[in-house]
Amino acid sequence: MKGFEVDLTRLRGGIFHFRRQKEDLRLGGIESEGDEKMDVWRLPISASLRGKLISAGYTSVTSLSSVSSANLAQDLNISNSEALNVLKVASHSGGSECLNENPSIINGAQNAWDLLHEEESLTHITTSCADLDGILGGGIHCKEVTEIGGVPGIGKTQLGIQLAVNVQIPHEFGGLGGKAIYIDTEGSFMVERALQIADACIEDMSEYNRFLRKDCQPCQMKMEPKDILEKIFYFRICSYTEQIALINYLDKFIAEHKDVKVVVVDSVTFHFRQDFEDMALRTRVLSEMALKLMKLAKKFSLAVVLLNQVTMKHAEGSFQLTLALGDSWSHSCTNRVILYWKGDERHAYIDKSPSLRSASAPYSVTTRGIRNSASSHKRIKMM
Amino acid sequence: MTPQNLLENLSTIQKCSTGCPILDRCLGGGIPCNSVTEVVAESGSGKTQICLQLALHAQLPVSSGGLAASSLYLYTEFPFPFRRLHQLSVAFRSSNCRSDENPCDDIFVQSVHSAGELLDIMSKTESFIENSRTRLPVRVIVIDSIAALFRSEFDNTPVELKRRSSLFFKISAKLKALAKRFNLAVLVTNQVVDLVVPDEGINGLRIGNLGCLYSSGRRVCPALGLAWANCVNSRLFLSRYEEVVHEENGKSYEETGGVMKQMRQLHVVFAPHLPGSSCEFVIKKEGVFGVER
Repeated sequence: MKGFEVDLTRLRGGIFHFRRQKEDLRLGGIESEGDEKMDVWRLPISASLRGKLISAGYTSVTSLSSVSSANLAQDLNISNSEALNVLKVASHSGGSECLNENPSIINGAQNAWDLLHEEESLTHITTSCADLDGILGGGIHCKEVTEIGGVPGIGKTQLGIQLAVNVQIPHEFGGLGGKAIYIDTEGSFMVERALQIADACIEDMSEYNRFLRKDCQPCQMKMEPKDILEKIFYFRICSYTEQIALINYLDKFIAEHKDVKVVVVDSVTFHFRQDFEDMALRTRVLSEMALKLMKLAKKFSLAVVLLNQVTMKHAEGSFQLTLALGDSWSHSCTNRVILYWKGDERHAYIDKSPSLRSASAPYSVTTRGIRNSASSHKRIKMM
Repeated sequence: MTPQNLLENLSTIQKCSTGCPILDRCLGGGIPCNSVTEVVAESGSGKTQICLQLALHAQLPVSSGGLAASSLYLYTEFPFPFRRLHQLSVAFRSSNCRSDENPCDDIFVQSVHSAGELLDIMSKTESFIENSRTRLPVRVIVIDSIAALFRSEFDNTPVELKRRSSLFFKISAKLKALAKRFNLAVLVTNQVVDLVVPDEGINGLRIGNLGCLYSSGRRVCPALGLAWANCVNSRLFLSRYEEVVHEENGKSYEETGGVMKQMRQLHVVFAPHLPGSSCEFVIKKEGVFGVER
């Protein structure tokens, strides 16, 4: 996969000219659908200006909407009239979104360039632990199914709650401003804990606000912990039939609630370890469920997080720790993260991922939620 | 299917007092409803004491930390400690000014001999709670202990172990379904096994906040293994150890020659709502009480 990406970037230079020509012809038209984060590059302005915009941190058209021409001129080191022109173009293109569809032969087909671009603009949900985000490439990926497993008490549920809260971080703070679906099969979701984590999250955001926007007009923090709880759709499931029924229903539910950006299943395992005489049936049911979740992730570009338990596997005369639900299940998820104890520290390890290097990072569970491990604090301070 | 309103949950979330404010503080208010809590300890550590005390304090009105409810006490280790319950109930009545009714009337006791029987009883429990004409509604289920049901019945072969863990999940799912439907607090006790070769095999695996569990100077681990650990929401561990007390009743170490004193601690091994913490406690005639350091 890594080599594949390199090849594409090499190709990119060649394709780029063609792109620009196309854009120039369209004048103000926007490529492909959606308002992705890095949509500044689609503005019909000169490449050098575009480069200046991106290096100054104006990566999305929306980020240009609130800035004055004088400020922009100063930030980009350009003349005021040029800045005014950029803003004019930006506001114009912002209003004419979805002007034209992607011209492809088969409906829905994409070329590799589009895919690469899509991957670059892929959105993440932060875990609130910088080290963990680091190995995950920015956080839990949208449009992908991520499985997280570990022994009881390692922090699976904590991570699940943290993600359900973090998905709601507004756009201004680099979040997704979305909603969460939390499917609780074990009864471990505690509202008081979610409230605690939500409180800490809001506190961190206002801290960040004060720190970053000292000179600009302060953006008011209007969020309340209760608002965060309101945006978590919580389902408590008591049997595997209910679990399957709910996952079938999710498609309809999310179509009605388009701003759902994460689905957490805590845990996917519990009801499938009870009463299955017929293991082949279990495998079929599970893989069908996984397929549906994967489709949901793609269709609504949301992140699916499946929490899994661990079990002992008897192999070659010794016992090994492995995630539950068997070997065929391990193909069902795009990414697989294993949480484990290393001495007195919690660690996460990327066991499987098509795009990420296998790596491990420490994290800790604090009263405020998932955070960097105490041992890595020193390093952060030095930076 | 519609999602539950979490804000509504927030106002109805309830915890049942263990009967001691210090222990309650350590547990964030008591034993939570709609959740399965496990107490792990070797025999004589105070598991049963805590269970009995919970069953009594559940009867207190909500304003006093109880659930205004009766409890169902399933026991698998014989005999049921009737005399101790009576002793505790006397203390409970005098300290809570409840002279009108006998608290033992609101504790339903049932013996269980096998895992199969436990499943049967749980099915019956559902209709019992639903149709019961008890004075107080049943809101607490105690199983003392779960380990006793499994420690003799199953062989140590892969097939048997698989059957065993499948039963764990079945029992746990039923308990959780009951807990959810009737908003019950469920308390299950579990025994410990000694660790012969530490850091090896399933039992050496670290689960929860404590690196290793020690009781009476021996390294122990909860019975029933990893599969059962997945079946409970919270796990508490009671440990005991002996400490030489240097001063007692004003006498110095030289006079007493050093008295060995039994010390007991409650640890939160894992819980979705609690940080890892521990609290010292003592067992008296009147019940179990936390000690502030």
